[in-house]
Amino acid sequence: MSRSHATRFLVILVILTAAALLLPFAANRGLVFLAGVIAINVVLGLAFNLLFSTAGLLSFGQATFSASGAYAAALLLLRAPEVPFLAVLVIAAATGAAIAFAIGFVALRRTEGVYFAVLTLAFAELVHVIIAKTSFFGRNDGLTGIQRPRIGPLDLAQGNAYYVFVILVTALLIAVLWWVTHSRLGRSFRAVRLDPMRAAFLGIDVRRRQLEAFAISGACAATAGALMGPLTSIVSPDLAHWGESTKPILFTLLGGAGHFWGPLVGAIVFSAVEYGTRSLAGASDLITGGLLLAVVLAIPGGLLGLATLGVRRLQARPAAPSEAALPLAPAASKGETL
Amino acid sequence: MLADLPTLLFNTLIWGMATFLVAAGLTMIFGILHVLNFSHGGFFMIGAYVAHSLANWSSAMANIWGFLLASVITAAVIGAVGLVVDRAIFRRLAHVDGAYVLVATYALLLVCNGVVKLIWGLNVVSASPPPELFDVSFLGNLVLPHYSIFVIVAGLAVFLALEWLINMTSVGRLIQAIAIDPWMARLLGINVGLIYSATVIIGFALAGLAGGLLVANQSLSPDLAGIFIIQAFGVVIVGGMGSIRGAFLASLLLGLADSFGTALLPQMPGLFFFVALAAILLIRPRGLIASGRLS
Repeated sequence: MSRSHATRFLVILVILTAAALLLPFAANRGLVFLAGVIAINVVLGLAFNLLFSTAGLLSFGQATFSASGAYAAALLLLRAPEVPFLAVLVIAAATGAAIAFAIGFVALRRTEGVYFAVLTLAFAELVHVIIAKTSFFGRNDGLTGIQRPRIGPLDLAQGNAYYVFVILVTALLIAVLWWVTHSRLGRSFRAVRLDPMRAAFLGIDVRRRQLEAFAISGACAATAGALMGPLTSIVSPDLAHWGESTKPILFTLLGGAGHFWGPLVGAIVFSAVEYGTRSLAGASDLITGGLLLAVVLAIPGGLLGLATLGVRRLQARPAAPSEAALPLAPAASKGETL
Repeated sequence: MLADLPTLLFNTLIWGMATFLVAAGLTMIFGILHVLNFSHGGFFMIGAYVAHSLANWSSAMANIWGFLLASVITAAVIGAVGLVVDRAIFRRLAHVDGAYVLVATYALLLVCNGVVKLIWGLNVVSASPPPELFDVSFLGNLVLPHYSIFVIVAGLAVFLALEWLINMTSVGRLIQAIAIDPWMARLLGINVGLIYSATVIIGFALAGLAGGLLVANQSLSPDLAGIFIIQAFGVVIVGGMGSIRGAFLASLLLGLADSFGTALLPQMPGLFFFVALAAILLIRPRGLIASGRLS
């Protein structure tokens, strides 16, 4: 990883975090709550994209990981309030990593194409059924009455304290995911994605790398999920429903899978669309579906891909005006601009 | 064991044939275009709603023939929608990466959900079967609702019709040729694009037919698509690469797992479907019938 790359990332992260932390001064409580949910969703999107764009695995079961973190944290907060919240987050991350490891261990026997996607979907629904039908997990009602915790002397129930905490943990998770993506480990993930056989010849243990990617993605998603319970005061089986698994995919493709920040852009735009159409039953599905379809068919690089292309064309215009008139090349969809 | 064996086998047949009705069109499209079409469940759902509206506007549910006619009209309507979807979307996905195709069809499913919510609303509606199918017969301890028997017969009929279409007709042989090697088929002068379109239309029509035939079995809500598409996905994947026979076999096998599993663990309905799906895929990763595509 080059130093200028890391510096640019840190600058963007600091600006975004600062903007999120300043939001309560400009927006009402409803929007601040929404921003907290979006922050969690950003991590879920980035964790998915670590698998999708870096490791080349299409997981349709990400909800399992976020839900396992959410339930682990909720159970600890309700039944064992003496456990410190930071320890709760670590336990949630470990739970997510363990479940991701277990599912990955079985599902990674079939990594090609739709088989892997459907296997992860099947395991996710398996977990969903178990959560929704077991009284330990509160069945269909879920677990309610989750309080915002204390961290030492800090009471996160006060004012916007919990929101600030969510933003800080989110920023930390984003940094972890960026570091993994650009580390030696992330490069070996990419080598496995681009050509598993060549990677194997070069001495990379392909299955182990894929399992590691799965466990890291699961741990990050579970930590983000763990933040959800105290924010909304409830965790329900809906968190594990396969519809939740598709959300990180939507964020990623909408924002641009080829960019690290793609899922963040996608999560914000998606949430804005959903917020704007929340009173119209059906319209939000229609708009989300139409938007996603348009992205896949017309701008496979996502919104950031489109923006990058636009910037390049603007820069190229004085030198080669004819190039700007070229239609979108399909090859641009696979462009690596990390 | 809580229920007796004949009841469990009867439940297997109901589950299996209802799911096969939905999965048949999905299998066709997966076998030829290699598109695992998420939106199939959505068009099945729209089919069910269309059939329901037909029944409300006319006296379609007055007898079994009207019911069948309504189902066929629904199949035609959804088949026509298939033509539009093929032209507008599927053709453009031909050179797109598989993951993006899966997501595009999921986006289409969202559009279907939105359409249903806008036109028919969020409330759960239900239709009762025509009077001929309303009765129940008894065979010893076995309770046989006539509508369930009808669904089983319809599933078998669709299976046999597709077997005949694919193996006995010239169109079927063209479809098989393209499933095996589209490049070679094109070289031999077969109009591959036309057969692709025909496959999509047949696949969508089958979704519409399933919606019409199963309308009386379901409480219609916008969740219907999600419930059936997961089951149909399981059947197609377990069945193998778009094999109709494989899908038929997989429907029965997964139905068996579901009905026995539900009898064993009644507090966790639906669990054993996923257990069986995962187990079968681990033992036979390429599905039950992996050799011949669309056999």
